[in-house]
Amino acid sequence: MARPASMWLRSCSMAFEFGPASLRVRDDISGLFRREWDRLSRPGGTWTGSERVAIAGAARQARFEAEPSPALIPDAAVEAAARVATAPASIRRPWVERMAAALGNPKYVELVGVVSRLASVDSFHRAMGLPLEPLPDPKPGAPTGDINERARIGAAWVPMEGGASIVYALSLVPEALAAQEDMHGPMYLTYEGMAQIDFVRGLTRAQMELVASRTSAINECFY
Amino acid sequence: MLAHSLMLRASVEATGVQLDPTAITDRSRDPLLPGGEALLDLVDAVLAGDDEARERARQDVRNQLGDDGLVDAAGVIGNFEMMNRVADATGMPVGKGSLARSEEWRARLGLDRYRHE
Repeated sequence: MARPASMWLRSCSMAFEFGPASLRVRDDISGLFRREWDRLSRPGGTWTGSERVAIAGAARQARFEAEPSPALIPDAAVEAAARVATAPASIRRPWVERMAAALGNPKYVELVGVVSRLASVDSFHRAMGLPLEPLPDPKPGAPTGDINERARIGAAWVPMEGGASIVYALSLVPEALAAQEDMHGPMYLTYEGMAQIDFVRGLTRAQMELVASRTSAINECFY
Repeated sequence: MLAHSLMLRASVEATGVQLDPTAITDRSRDPLLPGGEALLDLVDAVLAGDDEARERARQDVRNQLGDDGLVDAAGVIGNFEMMNRVADATGMPVGKGSLARSEEWRARLGLDRYRHE
């Protein structure tokens, strides 16, 4: 059921206050989510805070049939947010090139980061049985313009710097790369944890990798 | 999927636990891993199930693996919801070396059906 638009916006300082009746969410995860909401609300390399929140709204509208966001972003950005949110396995190179032609590669890459991190936060909430967190109130300001001028089209469909690795996929926009790097430690494993093949926390490493593999199977992601 | 199914294989080999990896792509198979069925049910329910299926799957994971196990599972699902989208939306290829070293594994799990290039 669609939710009123007003329910999607909320101050970052109040975000992710998981109530005492909820399962306990680790502090590193709730802290990460607050950082992500703060990032989402602020200008990025190429989009303003209002535009980034609108991109997130368009992604949620497509994924959860939410109330439409205000029309702050181009139609191509709405299309890209919806496709990345709901049907990433259907994406092919000609479509990415069309989006990049309409938006520019940096804006497309930043949008991919915003929508992908939102999917991470929202899917965590669905798994835990928690209501989705309202989107943050956008903060004012212009995009930083911080683009990696060394990034080039190579093995992937977007310009990047570094080897053919998911780690560098968003390297065209340094803010997007840093935000992705911030996510995997609390949500999955730090690089040190990844090196421990017998790592145990709430789950064993094998159980974690079973979950990772099945998630990728349902998403039809070969990588 | 290839990268982390290979990490799953490495973890199982290092720790000596039982696993049928074909359960990743074939839900008629028992993964054999402790709590494995409950974890697979949770992933399926979060990504493609309804509220009732999600609640049932959550309770099964809590009963078998505890509350910390559920939090870890939710985090891993969230992380790979992100990573899968980044990989597919940027056209990130699997390295030739990984492809060359994984031919038998990919065939066993039927992973090549997910290749788009």
